[in-house]
Amino acid sequence: MTGDVILVIVICTAVAFDFTNGFHDTANVVATPISTRAIAPRTAVALASLLNFVGAFISLKVATTVAQGFVSDQAVTTTVVFAGLVGAITWNLITWYFGLPSSSSHALIGGLVGAVTASAGFSAVNGNGLLTKLIVPALVAPLIAFTVAGLSILVVYGIVGRLRLGPVNRGFRLGQLLSGGLLALSHGTNDAQKTMGVITLALVANGNIAASNFHVPTWVVVISASAIAAGTFTGGWRIIRTVGSRIISMDPAQGFAAQGAGATVILAASSVGYPLSTTHVISGAIMGAGAAKNVSAVRWGVAGNIVVAWVLTLPAAAGVGAAVYAVSQLFGSGAIGPLVISIALVVALAVVFVRRLQQTAPAPVTS
Amino acid sequence: MIRAAVDAGALVKMLYSSLLAGLSVSIVVSLAIYGVTRSSDMRRLHRGGAATAYAVLALVAAALTAALVVYGLILLTRK
Repeated sequence: MTGDVILVIVICTAVAFDFTNGFHDTANVVATPISTRAIAPRTAVALASLLNFVGAFISLKVATTVAQGFVSDQAVTTTVVFAGLVGAITWNLITWYFGLPSSSSHALIGGLVGAVTASAGFSAVNGNGLLTKLIVPALVAPLIAFTVAGLSILVVYGIVGRLRLGPVNRGFRLGQLLSGGLLALSHGTNDAQKTMGVITLALVANGNIAASNFHVPTWVVVISASAIAAGTFTGGWRIIRTVGSRIISMDPAQGFAAQGAGATVILAASSVGYPLSTTHVISGAIMGAGAAKNVSAVRWGVAGNIVVAWVLTLPAAAGVGAAVYAVSQLFGSGAIGPLVISIALVVALAVVFVRRLQQTAPAPVTS
Repeated sequence: MIRAAVDAGALVKMLYSSLLAGLSVSIVVSLAIYGVTRSSDMRRLHRGGAATAYAVLALVAAALTAALVVYGLILLTRK
């Protein structure tokens, strides 16, 4: 009975995380077409939300990696998963508060690793899996996106560089609908699976699914897809502004190249099962598209802040995950700890949102 | 030791797939825009033959773009 109560809390928390993931990462998908005026902001967000939902049904390879690749099955309990999720949500909201596009994926895995370490020690963490399936792809993927976007924009300018600007811009705004659609689809494919993986991990830990018969139930796919789509629809305008106009001021061709590069890297990563950070990839692609045209056009100070947030994500989320696990254990091994922490989290969220609403909200990026 | 720990095959696959797909889409979309714009220019100069040739280039490039996107999605859903 206690296990089931904690499981319900975990599933609710996972859905909340998935919502914040969509909310936080809307910028990755819609910032470039909005900033180049390829599409109206509300339409972009609605379309991205729909494609995120559809994308979540495409593949389950990343879900399997998240559920089985980083921590030992034996060390995972529902309380551990809960603590990891709270760590990820907390870090997501901190970076949202400051308008920084950090990685929801790394926050989630960092939170889990921290909670497992607090529960069972470092030996329960699969260091090799962490290195090969998370850290190395995390370092390499933004560089690949940077390179692909940079080469793409050089090729694009080589082909259309001498043509009249009006029709070319109109053409690439249309092209951005295609590349933006692909990006939204790839985001749904890669990111919704992380929540699916975590919920399935909790189901295995609670004994609802046998570890030897690992599979992601259909209802888990449906609620994960719905939550990320709802979060995307709500939209995180603060981060949209940072990604869309503060790294570089883009023309439609650069927006197209950045989105196309981002989408292809994420889809390629999903096909080999890497739980990639869409934030890292699209930020790398935007920097590549900007630097290939003019290195000084990239606001490297903003880019530096983003990189600092990336580096801090894994250890910070791990720290919060470990702390949440330790606090929950103060209330014993039952459901009281997760319940108390959930209530505290909801109250903290309400306070943060009210404070943020009291400040002047930045307008959506329209130019 | 690090090299042994890294799944080089998967990384290389991600690298070449991304480069190939990203550059291919950029090239065909650019060619489609080039074809449409030049076709319009040629029509204004009353050069019907050249306008038709550029329009054909635009159509072929647009068809290739659609084919590339569909192929990519098929590859992904097979995983």
